[in-house]
Amino acid sequence: MIEFEDSGGDSERAADARDLTMSWSGQRGSAERPPAHPTTETAAASERDLTGLLTHEDIDRARDRYQVARARRTGHSKALANLRLLWLLVGPGILVFLGENDAPSMLSYSADGARYGIGFFLPFVVLTFMMGFVVQEMTVRLGAVTHRGHAELIFDRFGRFWGLFAMGDLVLGNFLTLVTEFIGVRAGLGFFGIRPSVAVGGALVIVLGAITTGRYWTWERITLSLAIFNALFIPAAILARPDWHAVGHAMLTWSPLPHGSHYDILVLLLATMGATVTPWMLFFQQSAVVDKGMQPRDIGAGRLDTAIGAALAAVFAIATILATVPLFRHGINSAAFQGAEFAQALEPWIGHAGAALFALGIFEAGIVAAITISTSSAYAFGEVFGTGHSLNRPLREAWPFYLTLIGSAFIAAGLVLIPRFPLEFVVLTVNVIAVLAMPPALAFLLLLVNDREVMGEHVNGIWANAAGIGVTVLLICAGIGFAVATIFPKLLGG
Amino acid sequence: MEQNDANSKEPKADAANVRPGRPDLKDPRLVLSLLEADQVVAAKSQSRFGRRPFSFGVSAALWGLRIYVLFMMVIVVISVIHAVHSAH
Repeated sequence: MIEFEDSGGDSERAADARDLTMSWSGQRGSAERPPAHPTTETAAASERDLTGLLTHEDIDRARDRYQVARARRTGHSKALANLRLLWLLVGPGILVFLGENDAPSMLSYSADGARYGIGFFLPFVVLTFMMGFVVQEMTVRLGAVTHRGHAELIFDRFGRFWGLFAMGDLVLGNFLTLVTEFIGVRAGLGFFGIRPSVAVGGALVIVLGAITTGRYWTWERITLSLAIFNALFIPAAILARPDWHAVGHAMLTWSPLPHGSHYDILVLLLATMGATVTPWMLFFQQSAVVDKGMQPRDIGAGRLDTAIGAALAAVFAIATILATVPLFRHGINSAAFQGAEFAQALEPWIGHAGAALFALGIFEAGIVAAITISTSSAYAFGEVFGTGHSLNRPLREAWPFYLTLIGSAFIAAGLVLIPRFPLEFVVLTVNVIAVLAMPPALAFLLLLVNDREVMGEHVNGIWANAAGIGVTVLLICAGIGFAVATIFPKLLGG
Repeated sequence: MEQNDANSKEPKADAANVRPGRPDLKDPRLVLSLLEADQVVAAKSQSRFGRRPFSFGVSAALWGLRIYVLFMMVIVVISVIHAVHSAH
């Protein structure tokens, strides 16, 4: 059932908006909401009314759509036109996956390589990114068809009660993750002898710098250009001189299997899954797709964007595992290592340049995720409280949105600088919490993406549902395994 | 990637209003022709998807998952206490 919100008063602006919407749908006087994606050609309101209704956000979004429309009707060759279109439409998918290759995730991958070497974890990481693609693709369709963020849709369709639960999971997970990003920033720059206050302060300046443009497109391109430095782990891996034959063998056979404490392996499995599929990614990508102004016609490009993001992130994650394999080969105990300690420990085997690249990679992972995760919190806050929530809005129009974004980053950064703050506690738990909170988030996602009133012809097909349910069941089983191993450690030899 | 299907209900800007050079986005009709109806902030803020009724099965599944998460948070706290004790 779709209905107009009771505006609580018949303000002229609200009435104009209602008339405008109905005139688009050709259903003036009807209580029905317009179809999911009607044409705007038939807009009947006067130019004066339309001018009053349009916001800065609408105009910026139209500017982006204009470029897309031009690319679609360009006279260049089809290949060039498609490349230009891809350039214009990529962003949310790459950002979400490279954003999720964040500081705690890179530390999880580092631990995979340092503790268990080349083997099971390489193909397992590829599997987790395939799982990530399955669920993130659904957010592209949701955002492009409904033009609404994930939090907004959950509150609308499932009500405040369930919406608050979903938000609780998101807020807790996002805040703890944000803290770990600044731990990564501090640890990464700590390798170069930079003081924590300078490192964290500098990171905050970069977060602020990215959002001061008041333009989604500029923010996206700045963040993408930072995110591509996730590739720093590739030269670090090459300097570790991996055994490519063993890599190929592991990818094909999923072996050798990890040995040792089953409990430790289970926690690392959970953390590795939590490094790829987490609630913030659902909220972020859907909101970013909406803010970018993507439409149903762009779903194919959005899917490709998501696949490119997943593939790049998987390659960089595998590179991180390979870069830390020398620690496994030389029997170095890395159980309590954090970012800079991995880099320092690797220096004898991958050289100072390799270790510096590794440390810079951890810094980059932290900074990009700090930008994307704080933006995800701000989007969700704005959607739930009905305040402006777009990076296309100037500060004066959407100050609660920007305040949430900056405020969450400042508080997380501040915590990292508190002496004797239990950073280890946060790093240990963040990815595990993310993966444990994921099944309810996936349930909401699957309900929404199968809702024909919301999605129209873009509802999930049988294979997408099978894959989505499969991922959810796998995550629940992993969580139950973790619970059993925690309560009965001797059962798994922990 | 390009999907030029004839049945698309896309805004018609692609064919009608796109000209080389910088767009005149002071013209509200051009802006509206580039956006779908529910992409416009003023229109979107006035419409909501209504509440979806839950079947018993869906309610049970959501409650089950909620209890699962709360239980798992307790497990996480136990595991962290265990890990911190082990570390010291």
